[in-house]
Amino acid sequence: MDLSVNGPKIILRVKKLYDAFGNILGNPITQTTVSLVIVTVGLIILSYFVTRKLTKRPGRLQVVAEKLVNMLYGMVRDTMGEHNLKFAPYIGTLFLSSIVGTLIGTTQIFRSTTADLSVTAAWAIVTTGMVWYNNIKNFGFGAWLKGFTEPIVVMTPMNIVSEIANPVSMAFRHFGNVAGGSVLTALIYGALAAVTHAIFSWLPETILAVFPPLFQIGIPAFLSIYFDLFSGFVQALVFSLLTMVYVGGACPPPEELPVRDKKAKNED
Amino acid sequence: MEWFLNEFEAFVGVNLWTMLFAWVNLLILYLFLKKLLFKPLKDMIDSRQKEIDDMYEDAESSKTKAAELKCEYEEKLEHANEESEEILRTAVRRAQLKEEEILRDANDKAARTVERAHEQVELEKKRIINEVKNEVSGMAIGIAAAVIERDVSESEHKELIDSFIDTIGESDD
Repeated sequence: MDLSVNGPKIILRVKKLYDAFGNILGNPITQTTVSLVIVTVGLIILSYFVTRKLTKRPGRLQVVAEKLVNMLYGMVRDTMGEHNLKFAPYIGTLFLSSIVGTLIGTTQIFRSTTADLSVTAAWAIVTTGMVWYNNIKNFGFGAWLKGFTEPIVVMTPMNIVSEIANPVSMAFRHFGNVAGGSVLTALIYGALAAVTHAIFSWLPETILAVFPPLFQIGIPAFLSIYFDLFSGFVQALVFSLLTMVYVGGACPPPEELPVRDKKAKNED
Repeated sequence: MEWFLNEFEAFVGVNLWTMLFAWVNLLILYLFLKKLLFKPLKDMIDSRQKEIDDMYEDAESSKTKAAELKCEYEEKLEHANEESEEILRTAVRRAQLKEEEILRDANDKAARTVERAHEQVELEKKRIINEVKNEVSGMAIGIAAAVIERDVSESEHKELIDSFIDTIGESDD
């Protein structure tokens, strides 16, 4: 029985790039890329059909969609405040990309986008970028830098490490959960095949070679409910929530802002 | 370039191309979902909410308005009652005045008529007396002339006769 834990399959490799930079830049298209494109296109098409004919008296689909959008805006309002509602579409996009990207792995045809560290790292970097951008915009570059030396100067290295640790932990948490789930699923499939073999070992060798792994039918579905559906949902929620909390912290209510830059406020 | 290798990336590793794809996809998805999904739905929810709020506000304002109008009408009604009573009172008073006036007029008229009748009667009486006097004096002269067989000149004895008749009339009265 061979059980291998692999990263995404490489679809396109540019030899010259691969020779020069190795895996980091050598493989422009992988399984993950394909999944990303499918998720993006799928979500766009879905949203087009959901909002194609909106009415004041909603149909069943519209009721569900409105309920979800209301929940999203309610959550953003609760975590980030009324003044940060403009971030809600981004949070919603992040959540949908994450959960659909995770669930696309259950098809067994495409690989989960979030089972690739590159994707979760990219999203985490976006979150950090938003936090830094808003901090500098709202408090000023000097005040932002000065924030690292608080509460005392000795803490500066710690603060810098924690600032970098935030996106790293976000990326690895999400990636680890989804990838770990897929590894576990693979392990369970392997184990169930082994169990089948062990129980039916009394069969002649020739039949056993083509005998189907009976226990693989049905049982993994229940585990999948936890490792794919539940875990995927929780990780998408955690990632979105952390993004909301971090970005919300960088965007305090207008009345709590220092009076310093009126220009930045006017641009808003 | 090699397509569809049977090779895999490292399980834990970073591919900058994949990151770039993730960013581009996230950006495209964000722009499209914002325009196609979140904004229209949010606008719809907000506009419906606004409509409901407006409706409630409308209902509230109409209710207050109705109550105000009711108050106003009740006041007016009360006023109208008073007014009608007033009108009635005035009408009755005027009617009474008119009645008195008419009565007075009628009385006056009747009194005047009676007076005039009296005067007329008096005049008639005088005229008849005069006539009778003249006739009687003529007759007396005739008789006297027949008695004394001589023409009694009316002009000469008029004075005498008249005074005679007068004495009769006086004693008659």
